[in-house]
Amino acid sequence: MAGLAEATASSGQRRWILIAIVASGIWASITLDLYPALLVPGQGGLAVVTEFFSYALSPVTTYQSKVPEGTKPLAAQALLAAWHTVKFAAAAMGLSLVGGISLGFLSSYSLMIETRRGITRVIGGTIYAIARLTITLMRSIHELLWAVLFLAAFGISQLGAVIALALPCAGILAKIFSELIDETPRHAAHAAEAAGASPIQIYCFILAPQALPNILAYSFYRFECALRSSAVLGFFGYPTLGFYIAASFENLYYGEVWVYLYTLFLLVAAVDLWSGAIRKRLA
Amino acid sequence: MLSGLQLENVGVSFEATRALEDVNLHLEQGEAVALVGLSGAGKTTLLHTCNAMVSPSTGRVLINGQDLSKISSHALKIARINIGFIHQDLSLVPNLRVIQNVVSGRLGRRSLIGGARDLLFPAGDVTERVYDILTSVGIAEKIYERTDHLSGGQQQRVAIARALFQEPQFLLADEPISSVDPVRAEATIALLKTLCAERNITLLMSLHNLKLATTFFPRLVALREGRVVFDKATDTVLPSELEAIFDLTESSPVSEEARDFEDRLGGRFG
Repeated sequence: MAGLAEATASSGQRRWILIAIVASGIWASITLDLYPALLVPGQGGLAVVTEFFSYALSPVTTYQSKVPEGTKPLAAQALLAAWHTVKFAAAAMGLSLVGGISLGFLSSYSLMIETRRGITRVIGGTIYAIARLTITLMRSIHELLWAVLFLAAFGISQLGAVIALALPCAGILAKIFSELIDETPRHAAHAAEAAGASPIQIYCFILAPQALPNILAYSFYRFECALRSSAVLGFFGYPTLGFYIAASFENLYYGEVWVYLYTLFLLVAAVDLWSGAIRKRLA
Repeated sequence: MLSGLQLENVGVSFEATRALEDVNLHLEQGEAVALVGLSGAGKTTLLHTCNAMVSPSTGRVLINGQDLSKISSHALKIARINIGFIHQDLSLVPNLRVIQNVVSGRLGRRSLIGGARDLLFPAGDVTERVYDILTSVGIAEKIYERTDHLSGGQQQRVAIARALFQEPQFLLADEPISSVDPVRAEATIALLKTLCAERNITLLMSLHNLKLATTFFPRLVALREGRVVFDKATDTVLPSELEAIFDLTESSPVSEEARDFEDRLGGRFG
């Protein structure tokens, strides 16, 4: 009977949490004056929206503006911008993975604290706390804000842009990796520990392989995010898709905008297909 | 220096629960001993205490005369390299290949880079040694299979192969036949006994199955409620001593088995 009373109390608690979440959502919407009627555009706005979306169904194949002699064809320009977008994202992802895996190890509770004893537990606990703090700092600042900071510090620098993308991504990967590792069943890890394996060997060869399908899935998702952020870097002057989207949009060349948007869509879809195929093979 | 595995007045407590109390045990090099008792008697705790995965609250555990509670983390790691452990749940990495699981048994003897090489690009001699051990446990053809694609019995053999690949001086086995059928259970115990004898490995195995314990092990250590009830040669165990560890008044499967064993002993003495 005590068990039933406990389960009922827990269920009641969950219900109240759900009610509190919904109530706070409604309260926030009211205080922000979010009314559905505001979504109806004005006369001028409606015309712009209609024109913009009409190009979605009939994207252009050539430039809408007059371009100088020797300018690359629109499709080639879009592909080149996509290539730059991928390069920035890939470089950032490479850095993020190195940072994420390293910090993920240092911020794993089970590896830094649970499996250690004596003075190594104290040292491990200190490193764990510092790593957690670093991760929180890295991911609490958005990549675009990092980009603004680096732009102010170094000007248009490709290295600055890559680091700006990599910093929050590495922080998020480290947090997710450490949680995935901590949630991985520990039987095999205990067996390896009992056979004299070191914590770093247990992390790399016992826990990481078990968490690998989830780690890969999340890494691919973050690569998608990096692609989108890399595209947006164009708004700051880098030669990624965002640069051409912004330029075309400002000149009201919506047909060109859609060409670049569809290129971005295809990039993300390709990454999704690629990750799906890899995950299927690892499952 | 004293050789073998020795427990002196070992007691283990988990908060208010006393899991082991005043346990004394000495295993000579190459000896094979079965640890019997009901569930919750303290068999698993005792095995975990032997390799310092559980620290004794009182007493001490000595491996070749070395007190495990008084050595540095590095020395403990070295000591553990010489102690193989076959876990009840097998504790394999399901999505690794058989060869990788077997090789992981020797991680303690390898550096980070060396371990990575063994797991990802094993040298020819490493592969050969794994193949030889898998041949001895009868699943050599599965060397490159994913471990979770094997049957329960085959996975059990992978766990045995991993422990043997570690080249331990001592082997602790916690109910290693819990997930296989009776016929395979007998074959597995026989195989383990033979392999340990060939390699002069000290074997301490916890078993529920009294018949297998008495058939294959010359020495029995019986536990009840964390205490050693008897520790003697199997041939000298008296029926009345069984009553002290197994509640024969209950009609549980274990009690049935204990009664069966008692009948066999009675027959022998009668």
